[in-house]
Amino acid sequence: MYKREWLRLDFDAYDLDSAIYDEAFLPDGTPRDHYRALHAAMRAATPERFAAIKERINRSFVHESISFTLHGGDEAQERIIPIDCVPRILAAAEWRGLEAGLSQRLTALNRFLSDIYSTGRIVADGVIPADMVRGCPHYRLAMRGVEVPRGVYAAICGSDIVRTSHGYQVLEDNLRTPSGVAYMVANRKAVKAGLRRLYRRCRVREVEHYGRLLLETLKELAPPGRPDPTIVVLTPGVYNAAFYEHMFLANEIGAALVEGRDLLVNDGAVYMRSTSGLRRVDVIYRRVDDDFLDPLEFRPDSLLGVPGLMHAYKLGNVAIANAPGAGVADDKSVYAYVPDMIRYYLGEEPLLANVETYLCRRPRDLEYTLDNLANLVVKRVGESGGYGMLIGPGATPAEHAEYANAVRANPADFVSQPVLALSRSPCFIDGKPAPRHVDLRPFALQGAQTRMVPGAFCRVALREGSLVVNSSQGGGGKDVWVLADAPGEQP
Amino acid sequence: MLARSAEGLYWTGRHLERAEHLCRLLWLQVEALVDRPVEEIHFGWRRIYRSLRRAPPGGREEFGAGEDYTLADSYTLADDLTFEPANPDSLWSCFASGRENARQTRHCISGEMWTCLNLAWLRIGALDIKQIWGASPETFYAETAREIDTFCGVAEATMYRDEGWRFMRLGRCIERALLTVALLRAQLDAAAQEEDEAEWTSLLRAYQALEAYHRRHGLAIEPDAVLNLLVTDPLLPRSLRHSLQAAHTELTAIGPGPGARASAEATRLAGKLCALAEHDWRQRQRAADIHAHEGALLRKAEGHCRRLHELTTLSYFEYGIEDAPLH
Repeated sequence: MYKREWLRLDFDAYDLDSAIYDEAFLPDGTPRDHYRALHAAMRAATPERFAAIKERINRSFVHESISFTLHGGDEAQERIIPIDCVPRILAAAEWRGLEAGLSQRLTALNRFLSDIYSTGRIVADGVIPADMVRGCPHYRLAMRGVEVPRGVYAAICGSDIVRTSHGYQVLEDNLRTPSGVAYMVANRKAVKAGLRRLYRRCRVREVEHYGRLLLETLKELAPPGRPDPTIVVLTPGVYNAAFYEHMFLANEIGAALVEGRDLLVNDGAVYMRSTSGLRRVDVIYRRVDDDFLDPLEFRPDSLLGVPGLMHAYKLGNVAIANAPGAGVADDKSVYAYVPDMIRYYLGEEPLLANVETYLCRRPRDLEYTLDNLANLVVKRVGESGGYGMLIGPGATPAEHAEYANAVRANPADFVSQPVLALSRSPCFIDGKPAPRHVDLRPFALQGAQTRMVPGAFCRVALREGSLVVNSSQGGGGKDVWVLADAPGEQP
Repeated sequence: MLARSAEGLYWTGRHLERAEHLCRLLWLQVEALVDRPVEEIHFGWRRIYRSLRRAPPGGREEFGAGEDYTLADSYTLADDLTFEPANPDSLWSCFASGRENARQTRHCISGEMWTCLNLAWLRIGALDIKQIWGASPETFYAETAREIDTFCGVAEATMYRDEGWRFMRLGRCIERALLTVALLRAQLDAAAQEEDEAEWTSLLRAYQALEAYHRRHGLAIEPDAVLNLLVTDPLLPRSLRHSLQAAHTELTAIGPGPGARASAEATRLAGKLCALAEHDWRQRQRAADIHAHEGALLRKAEGHCRRLHELTTLSYFEYGIEDAPLH
């Protein structure tokens, strides 16, 4: 009989590096328990079949135009995030750990925000330096003493989590306008259709109800006496990179997708221009930065904002999620204090670790940073999306020197962290399974309670050896499968 | 619903109707290139450009004599009307605008509608005149027309019948009425003095009305009967009367807008337009100079349709907030 064995996908050339945690394999090359079914399915498939699945998945994104907008030169381009068809799998227990850790973290972060915008107990007790809070570029004086619905400043949080050989670590929290949740849902839909039998066999938990959880959360934040609140999603507009996601979210929760020019404030309440007149708005899920929310309160040149919005907000006539000023808690120096916040407010030990962080404002950390520049990642406080960063090992001596000068001039603006050996997960690349570095962004919601769907947006650095997962720089996406407990297993 | 989203859907309806109309005219035109006399081909191009109120590229409406020139000119003109992004009336531009409006209001239409429109857009966006001309331009126009028909069918089958649906329909109907009036005017202007049956046949085909005509009026093509069918027939989905009545129905169903005065005037005007397409048009036989009267009626209808668009905008989209009701 003609043997087709050689045509099957094989893992012989799959590179296992003992210094890097592999999501799917133990160091000796045997698959981890929760990856067994996937491994067997891949072994049984031909490269052609997998290539066809991958092609189909990515084509479905093109057909539906699930895209982000990239601005370069004069023209805006609609780009598709390339999806790798091999899912990243999390065992039931792993997810439980992440869920508990994130819930604890978000609770502490909200307590922190409530505190610093009211009595400032944590600063008075000397846990966090006062100037770090008040001097943070995302600190909003206008929020002082404002009563925020249920004390929830960050209703939607997307934290970036990495895994190294030391386990899971939170790399950063995104509390302003975290994005990526639309891809979590879109990836699932596409990958599920491509790997139908495997999906069923693996007993994967659903993520499609994210919209329902978001709607429940936003409703809980509505001003009192508004039993059937009108909710809107506020977008900077169609030119924003994440416009697709804004549209997706509006669709999921059945809300209007508004821009600043569609809203106005009258007599202390917010209204939107509808086809039947001015309609009262109760909750705004905003995807516009603080600076652009209200030209009367923040940047006067903002064309995206709604004059008087903050006035209506302070009167309690409208809820804004996330609250203005929530960015203090995802600041890169404040980040270093999150474990202390958890101990301070909740009296608990943090369930999820931070990445070791050196604050250059401290003389000892500054010295260490400057001495070890070539081995560290140095970040500018208050920047996000990978901007203003120095990746020590990848930079030239001239770049080191230049960056060192900038750090010396304004030490408080910089933090440094060791270069992390991000875990790798098998991908299907050029017809073969190959490991690539990944991170994980789960989404947590907080209203009257904390809610999470068991899933995440997984970013993957598709270029070999690369650690950069950003979609604007050659990164791709992966579906994340959180497995249900096996029958009889203790939840 | 949000006024800006309603406006986006209204314009989606308008642009796609425009794309479809142009697509059918171009389809007829490239078919004519195969077997029709040069004069008829020239007539066809003139009719299209006049109905769009545009000058052909190069600015002249006269065409080179002889077959070779006609074919070379036709290539240039078809490119201008199909793929030229700088021409806001080209099929490409109408499609791009329709799709962009739909993209911005994607959460207000069904997912099936979006996928259908986006697939059509991906196909058209990847082509150019050279590719379609080399193979079979008829096939391209036929496929594009079918894709727009499919979109409308998918919309009919899947879209929630809320205000968004009504505004999209309203946009389609107003655009259809405007295009019909403009094409009829161009036909009357461009028609040779001695009436040529072929020109009226192609007009009927542009409205997919040839079979309906034969069923109703027999085989002989009478310009008067053709005009009557295209203007007043209540059963022909693309007749002027049918489009205007549908616009009137949608306006009534949407109800008064926050721009109260404009809204009242819009409803009145839509009623007046229906009466024009039905009653006034039939009365034209009594006029001393029928042709002049027909022209005047069509001019009036065109003015009213444009005004109807302005009033729609003022009643629902760009109303003053001072006296808008608060909810």
